Amino acid sequence: MSMSLATDFRKDVVRLGAGDLTACMNCGSCTATCALSEGTAAFPRKTIRYLQIGAKGQIEGSLEPWLCYYCGDCSVSCPREANPGETMMAARRWLTARYDWTGLSRWMYRSHWVELGALLAVAAVVLALFLIPSGFGFRALSSHPEALDTVRLDLFASRTFVHIGDLILAFVLSTLLLSNAARMVYLAMRGRRVPIRAWIRPVTEFVVHGLTQRRWRDCDNDDSRFNWLRHILLVSGYGTMFVLVVVFLNPFQVEDTAWHWTSLLGYYATLVLLAASFTILSDRIRKRTQMHAFSHFTDWLFPILLALTSLTGIVLHLLRLMDLAMPTYVAYVIHLCVAVPMLAVEVPFGKWAHLLYRPLAMYLEAVRKRAAAEA
Amino acid sequence: MNTITDAVVIGGGIAGLQVALDLADQGFDVVIVEKEPSIGGKMISLSKVFPTLDCSSCICTPRMAAAAHHERITIMTCSEVQAVQRVGEHFSVTIRTRPRYVIESACIGCRKCEYACPVLVPHEFEGNLGARRAIYVPFTNAMPQVALLDVENCTFCGACARACPTDAIDYLQEPAITEMEAGAVVVASGYALTETQTADRYGGGKLANVLTGLQMERLLAPHGPYGRVLRPSDGRIPDTVAFVQCAGSRDHSLPEGQGVPWCSRVCCMYAIKQAMLLSGSLPLVDITIYYMDIRAFGKGFEQFYQNARAMGINFVKARVARITEGENANPVLRIERIEEDGRVEDQPHDMVVLTPGIVAGWDPSSVIPVQIGSDGFVLSEHASLAPCRTRVPGVFVAGTASGPKDIPDSIVEAGAAAMEAANHLRRTAYASRRRTEAEAGGR
Repeated sequence: MSMSLATDFRKDVVRLGAGDLTACMNCGSCTATCALSEGTAAFPRKTIRYLQIGAKGQIEGSLEPWLCYYCGDCSVSCPREANPGETMMAARRWLTARYDWTGLSRWMYRSHWVELGALLAVAAVVLALFLIPSGFGFRALSSHPEALDTVRLDLFASRTFVHIGDLILAFVLSTLLLSNAARMVYLAMRGRRVPIRAWIRPVTEFVVHGLTQRRWRDCDNDDSRFNWLRHILLVSGYGTMFVLVVVFLNPFQVEDTAWHWTSLLGYYATLVLLAASFTILSDRIRKRTQMHAFSHFTDWLFPILLALTSLTGIVLHLLRLMDLAMPTYVAYVIHLCVAVPMLAVEVPFGKWAHLLYRPLAMYLEAVRKRAAAEA
Repeated sequence: MNTITDAVVIGGGIAGLQVALDLADQGFDVVIVEKEPSIGGKMISLSKVFPTLDCSSCICTPRMAAAAHHERITIMTCSEVQAVQRVGEHFSVTIRTRPRYVIESACIGCRKCEYACPVLVPHEFEGNLGARRAIYVPFTNAMPQVALLDVENCTFCGACARACPTDAIDYLQEPAITEMEAGAVVVASGYALTETQTADRYGGGKLANVLTGLQMERLLAPHGPYGRVLRPSDGRIPDTVAFVQCAGSRDHSLPEGQGVPWCSRVCCMYAIKQAMLLSGSLPLVDITIYYMDIRAFGKGFEQFYQNARAMGINFVKARVARITEGENANPVLRIERIEEDGRVEDQPHDMVVLTPGIVAGWDPSSVIPVQIGSDGFVLSEHASLAPCRTRVPGVFVAGTASGPKDIPDSIVEAGAAAMEAANHLRRTAYASRRRTEAEAGGR
């Protein structure tokens, strides 16, 4: 197997938060400790070795970082305190940046100023949408003075326009994410001969892991069970909110104080998002488990944005129920100024992209295995 | 009891014995204070030594005998130093001697008491693999050949006293305190092993067929507990034996007491030695040594290692992550096949030997104001130029008390420490003044 080595590659990954690569002497106790290592898809030692020698090509095409769920057992048992768990995390950050063809992800991972700038820029665009067009947002209020006395959200931000905006956002973000995922597939599978049959059967892997993150449950410690449970609840809350906003915006974005069936789902999703994001933040502050011991700024940003989205959503909901017109509109804009940048930055370029990369890696690993078995 | 001597050597292992012999041969009076009932230290319990494969007993026993019979050497066993105080240029050393409940001068080492004793207890000298009586001579080549009574386990049945031909049993002995005046003190207190086998990842101390390196030494010794190499759990002859290297050494992840961050220096070589001896005593056994890297740095070590490879001993580069118990009480080692395709495997073996980390055997700073490093070993005045001088003038250090080392290095260091102590005694004129005073006082 030929490989080319990149001398500055190691520095790149260290900048993204990798553990002490020079401390590792490749004893393999991390891999042997890992409850998920099986067969030749064994990690983290191999990944760390590739990073040490600068085998960029090997890392680009590797799926192992996505197969790791960071229980932290490897870091706890590492005789050299080289922190293999966090190195796997850094490899995931590097891969996220590598898959992204726009190059924005790499910029944002390397500098928190760029990431904050990107968030602010998207927020500015959202704000401009509410300030500039004449038939929408604050300028629409001048032609509808009744909307200042009582909450008329539909006059302030028409559901039709917002829905169109939702769909445009969903389209742009999924196009970016899917094109990045296509690069992941290309990098992981190039040079391999895979018969068509091998591509088809493992699709169930993708669906099952995408929906349940079942593999995480195989991590061999109690913290992992809890983290998995919290994560699946978070996913359910996020999924519920996504469906409400993108599919059922009409019954969801209401302006009266009457009871709506969507409220029940909204309450559930908000509660879960709030609880999950706040406990995640508290775990990171307290460094509760090995997984939370080291926090890259992107690890902070994601739960903070989630928590802010939930909080502004709650404020918006309360103000509307109290029928305070102007405060409701302001809260609405603030809510979107947090939620939209979060989605726009995190989904295709940031931590959130793992929602596609992880199940895809499980699928591709199964494809590889099947192809190898048939060959 | 008050006595005067030139030098007190703390520890009667191979380093302490060598210090004492080198000083005594120069005409100085030496007292060896040994906490165990016999001198000989760890070395006397070893089977053979690397890289020469000399029989350890055969080369250690003559040193023990030489020290015991030297007219200038006094040996105090079952004794511990309780305090060392500087008085002018010399030291006042307080020594506490535990009772043996056997009159040392009367006992002839015939072992009749041992044969009469009805109590059986695990034998510490055999790594708890064999048994001893409640009254016993410490081991076959112990020096002095004097029995001692283990009061913790004695039932006071009186059988030993009735059997003793010289009426040496004395149930009423009390601890004795000796105040010793000396011109120099040499710390040769040796090492201890970490309790690595109690770590969860190595089975938590519950696996019968996981042994430590020192236990394996006893199994391999010709006069060991079973007289041959057998599995402790069922007495079967093992077909496969594994050595787990760096179990507790070079490990930052294990807590204090179970592991140490430094290299213990002797484990690579003694594992190779034990593997060679095993293949000699059990020609059909499969031996695997799991290692991180083999450190064969001493004279003749690399050749020794290469010989072991040529003999067919398997060397597998992998740090063992976990030991669990499989079928037939076989320890199962979980490793990554680093040099193959990197797959993770659970590898069962009939018997597993851990090579635990080496830590200081005793902390002298509680009785002598010597400086102790963060690793617990005695700090030298200068690590490269004065390795045997401690930071207290007149107090010297030899052997593994100052750090892990092998037998030849301990011997060399003991000679150096003896020379430093002799120089000190001459410089302070302690010995000559003492003799002059003694002659003047008509002592």
